[in-house]
Amino acid sequence: MRLLALTASLLLSQPAWALDSAALVDTAIDQHILPGFTALTEATGTLKNTAAEDCASDSAALRAAYHQGFDAWMAVSHLRFGPTEEEERAFSLAFWPDTKGFTPKALSKLITSEDPAALDEEAFAEVSIAAHGFFALEFLLYDERIQTLGSDAYRCTLIQAVINDIDRNATAILAEWQNGYADLMRTTSENGPYTTELAAVAELFKALDTGLQFNADARLGRPLGTFDKPRPLRAEARRSERSLQNITVSLNALEQLAALLAAQPPAPAKNLTAAFSLALGHATELESDPTFAGVSDIQGRLRVEILQQYIGNIRDIVLQELGPALDVTAGFNALDGD
Amino acid sequence: MVTRRRMLAGLAATSLLPSAGWSSVGTPDYLSAARAPDGTYLLAGLTTTGEITFTIPLPARGHAATAHPERAEAVAFARRPGTFALVMDCRDGAVLNTLTAPAGRHFYGHGAFSADGSTLFTSENDFEAGEGVIGLWDVTQNYTRIGEFSSGGVGPHDLKLMPDGQTLVVANGGIETHPDMGRSKLNIPVMAPNLSYVSLAGEVLERVELTASLHKNSIRHLAVRSDGLVAFAMQWQGNKSATQPLLGLHQRGTETKLLTAPPKAQQQLQGYAGSVALSNDGGLVAITSPRGNVLHVFDTETGQPSAILSAKDVCGIGPTSDGFVFTTGTGIIGTLQSNTAQHPLQWDNHLIAITPQA
Repeated sequence: MRLLALTASLLLSQPAWALDSAALVDTAIDQHILPGFTALTEATGTLKNTAAEDCASDSAALRAAYHQGFDAWMAVSHLRFGPTEEEERAFSLAFWPDTKGFTPKALSKLITSEDPAALDEEAFAEVSIAAHGFFALEFLLYDERIQTLGSDAYRCTLIQAVINDIDRNATAILAEWQNGYADLMRTTSENGPYTTELAAVAELFKALDTGLQFNADARLGRPLGTFDKPRPLRAEARRSERSLQNITVSLNALEQLAALLAAQPPAPAKNLTAAFSLALGHATELESDPTFAGVSDIQGRLRVEILQQYIGNIRDIVLQELGPALDVTAGFNALDGD
Repeated sequence: MVTRRRMLAGLAATSLLPSAGWSSVGTPDYLSAARAPDGTYLLAGLTTTGEITFTIPLPARGHAATAHPERAEAVAFARRPGTFALVMDCRDGAVLNTLTAPAGRHFYGHGAFSADGSTLFTSENDFEAGEGVIGLWDVTQNYTRIGEFSSGGVGPHDLKLMPDGQTLVVANGGIETHPDMGRSKLNIPVMAPNLSYVSLAGEVLERVELTASLHKNSIRHLAVRSDGLVAFAMQWQGNKSATQPLLGLHQRGTETKLLTAPPKAQQQLQGYAGSVALSNDGGLVAITSPRGNVLHVFDTETGQPSAILSAKDVCGIGPTSDGFVFTTGTGIIGTLQSNTAQHPLQWDNHLIAITPQA
């Protein structure tokens, strides 16, 4: 094999300041990632125990545990790398958006055929990914049609199966972070997923940016649709009235990650804090419309669009100021290819 | 019914004009979109030695272009989810026509002409259905929209005319997007990309899918050899620590061959191949990775890697007689042997060969 080692790259630019990348990665893991996934397993453990005692879809205790579990997932749902991506764990926890209605279809099929897969953890892990996770659970607890389909006994079994699977995935993610992936991120190596400390910082940076983008484009963009064709029924988790809540929890978590990444000068810590405050402050003004049903009228739509704009402003600071300060700016083609 | 007057008008538009062939624009070998230092966008004609033969301003960021087989005419596509494409006279930059995607459709950024140049095929998204379509435009009637058919999958991206002139090969990337949600990917856990061979009437003649474990490998870009060998470049949507193959070779009726570099070199691609090209002699195939800042060359016969080249933000690649010319987001134009030119421009994703590949 003939290997050419010709280099067309320009000299790698070195920032004028000395960035302690290792410290950034350590604090993000210790103060953000590990506590976040620990909280998730605690919430899913509670959810599992609650469902074992009471699996009625209108159970107040079960619904409260569902909301706590969903909150805990939203607080880590932007950390889409490493353990969440193994064995489709993140998608198993949250299959959304579901543009073709796979979740209600898959649940209906399980319920009407009383598929025995719900009785066995391993068998259930293999059923359609759309029948897993918090969005499947939301249908089982809040959707009028699914709530009354088939027999109470089977639906109870299915609710427990979905919840056990949620807990299994959350536990597996945390275990993998604790037993290896955190070390792979802290200690870069030739053969590991991160060959340089900067690559690990870039991963965290990308998680922050992608998380912001998902809130603006998907969680808000989907119900907004277009002015002529608003799509309120496409709001995330609208059945359990969590659409705004999901964004608020996610933004709070992203604010924490942004602050940790901006801890070293000349990162734009103050600008980020101000931009997050503006967005989160505006989110409280939307509390009267928790499912973004208002996107169909001019006033309600404007409020949702403003929130989207404020999140866009955060993203501008992240891309234009934080990225260069962390030396993780990507090239013209690399940043946003096709 | 075609009236006599209309027929004459059509003749005048196509054949009676003084030569409008590619030689009239200083014979560029390639087309590429770019961004200028002042933030404006343009389409440029390039030679293999890196000279710019013409530039034409674009109203927004371009993606790929496609060149008319005879006339010095190119269609430049906005990057997805753009809804317009510009037909340009490459002699003077005049915009001859603007293609607007029909309601409920947007372009993906690639297109292909029929062998005689009378029909343009464009990859498009039927975004409410979440299904891919190929749009048909009648070039002889000022690029009138005349129909569409299924692309054979979701998220069609690149498409090329096969050497038989009767078949299109379409890279159905498998990723569902919706313009209301920007460039967010909506169906990663259930995505199912494929390579489809479709007749010009829209009949799916053959569909190639990879094994289930590779369902997150989005088939995006294509190059076709004169004997019908199709090279396809992929973009991995799964866990980034993986070293999935990003290049495949397929010939109709035979098994797909997947090509990979040794693990360490493969990992450097970061799961992302931006463009693919076959050398004009057909012996080499290359992919670029702007994320890995690297270009991989393979021998098409043995499937073995033959060269690895580092180049910052490399993405565009096109064939030369015995190798390749590449472009980068830092403005460089180079070959496997050396950098031949650098312009104060950021070359965009694709370098499109004007002359048909051998």
